Amino acid sequence: MSAVPEPVLEADHLSKHYPVSAGWLKPPATVRALEGVSFRLAAGRTLAVVGESGCGKSTLARQATMLEVPTSGLLRLAGRDVANADAATRKALRRTIQMVFQNPFASLNPRKKIGQTLEEPLAINTALGKGDREARARAMLERVGLRPEHYARYPHMFSGGQRQRIAIARALMLEPKIVVADEPVSALDVSIQAQVLNLLMDLQDETGVAYVFISHNLAVVELIADEVLVMYLGRVMERAPKAALFDGPRHPYTRALLASTPRVGAARGETALAGAARTALAGELPSPLAPPSGCVFRTRCPHAIARCAELVPPPVALGPGHIAACIRLEEIG
Amino acid sequence: MSLLEVDHLSVEFGAPGAALQAVDDVSFSVAAGEVVGIVGESGSGKSVTALAVLGLVDVPGRVRAERLAFAGRDLRSMPARERRSLLGGEIAMIFQDPMTSLNPSFSVAFQLMETIALHEGGSRQARRARALELLQAVEIPDPQRRLDAFPHQLSGGMSQRVMLAMAIACNPRLLIADEPTTALDVTIQAQMLALLLRLQRERGMALVLITHDLGVVAEVAERILVMYAGQVVETAAVPAVFETPQHPYTEALLASLPERNTGQRRLRSLAGVVPGALDRPAGCLLSPRCPYVEERCRRERPALYELGAGRARCFFPLPTHAEVAAPLPR
Repeated sequence: MSAVPEPVLEADHLSKHYPVSAGWLKPPATVRALEGVSFRLAAGRTLAVVGESGCGKSTLARQATMLEVPTSGLLRLAGRDVANADAATRKALRRTIQMVFQNPFASLNPRKKIGQTLEEPLAINTALGKGDREARARAMLERVGLRPEHYARYPHMFSGGQRQRIAIARALMLEPKIVVADEPVSALDVSIQAQVLNLLMDLQDETGVAYVFISHNLAVVELIADEVLVMYLGRVMERAPKAALFDGPRHPYTRALLASTPRVGAARGETALAGAARTALAGELPSPLAPPSGCVFRTRCPHAIARCAELVPPPVALGPGHIAACIRLEEIG
Repeated sequence: MSLLEVDHLSVEFGAPGAALQAVDDVSFSVAAGEVVGIVGESGSGKSVTALAVLGLVDVPGRVRAERLAFAGRDLRSMPARERRSLLGGEIAMIFQDPMTSLNPSFSVAFQLMETIALHEGGSRQARRARALELLQAVEIPDPQRRLDAFPHQLSGGMSQRVMLAMAIACNPRLLIADEPTTALDVTIQAQMLALLLRLQRERGMALVLITHDLGVVAEVAERILVMYAGQVVETAAVPAVFETPQHPYTEALLASLPERNTGQRRLRSLAGVVPGALDRPAGCLLSPRCPYVEERCRRERPALYELGAGRARCFFPLPTHAEVAAPLPR
């Protein structure tokens, strides 16, 4: 891979604000679900987006898959600016990015046979005949580790892991350049999770598809990601290549996330108790309707000082592809 | 004497003959003040085991056990009224989804005071004061104001704290927590686990923690039970079980954890799926998926054998893979 591969997905200061009703006769308030998010994703690579509820992970997915129009900022898909593209180009671009959802029990139509579900994207987006579509669907079933005879079955006849394989197959039918996977393994048991993660990695090696992998599970992210984006209340806290992030996390929030994750191998009480005193965060996520001024993380940050309330911390470059948004990086080491 | 004793517990659902064996011959005990983790994947019978202990398995479910005792009292022969008064009193339980476990129509204070009224009584003011104390004990921010809040005004983490406050209201000797942190974010989960452990230590409660998350039990439990397809396949002390698992299923579960595969590009995974009601193998339930399977495993069902450290339901326990000598005496 060359030093600067052409990105298939690029976001530059992407923001999405939603108006929400604040009450009777009051002007609507604004939720800044996504605020100034920038990243680049190259073909065959995986960008993991990590954060807790309300951090903007799913909003990011909805912008990237063109389900919504960003409030501001630039989004480039396969080198084309999405905002300024005409309708035909936008339609063509939609084929290049597909999605896999969290819950495989809700994301498959229970009244459609698996074959119909897989063929639908082909019927809409290509001129292939019935025979060709069926052949492709059966071939795809084999590629994701199912059997061709599953073609004529309904979703209720499959287990959770098998359904997630079907959802992955559906996403790959149009040979997209990018697949956005929103918590694709968090509804699965750990042994099934391993099978599905292996499948995702195998498919990436075969097809060169790029993944935007949204997850709250840092152990999974450490396995699958090339680059990690850590988000909190719609803003990027830290962005780094995987090794840099797990070996030397710099932002207090990234450190807190890593310290909070329970792990086999940690001694009893190490993270949950001793760690609680050491790094685990106090308090809960502030309301997205009234985020703290300055750094949004300061209300839970163990290192916050008065100046954190005054300015939004600009991203600080720390190494190749490694940035963190914190004004006290030097002091906290 | 153990606080909770469960001997050869089985729970079946469905028609006799074609029944689903949700819990199959499960035996364990919990000592006073002990933290026991029950780990398993979906459908392994971990929640049904807890419900059976509490007497909450409804017909048509059938519960059989040779012994089911709490603090020396037989739960099966006990009058229904007495058994009910144990629940929420000496035995308490919290559930996975805090948002649906609270009644949306009543305030936090009302729901806490209801529990206190049932088990302890007292005047309205005394109960309200006690409710406030409980909210402080579970570290809810601004507890005075939260008393009159309704469940929809609380976040997931706060709802789970209210559930916990309700559970510890009557100073239970045993708290069963069924996936108490699964619905929570990871930083909130860390707070919740620290809180659970603190309360357990301060009050000397026994804690049974049911979870699918091996990381959680590794950090919280003293001893774990690993369940597979309704059976206990291994029971051993933490952290020994994570260092030298004796049952192939435990080993496979650990091997499929991403954090155990650092530096590797693929996870080691167990092929196949958990057997259902109709395809339970004649021999060992893991035999169709077990990488170490032998002829004997396909023919016979293994019992839980007493090994050096803990017990495992396997004819050829790891790491030596030597055949077990004698069955466990009943």
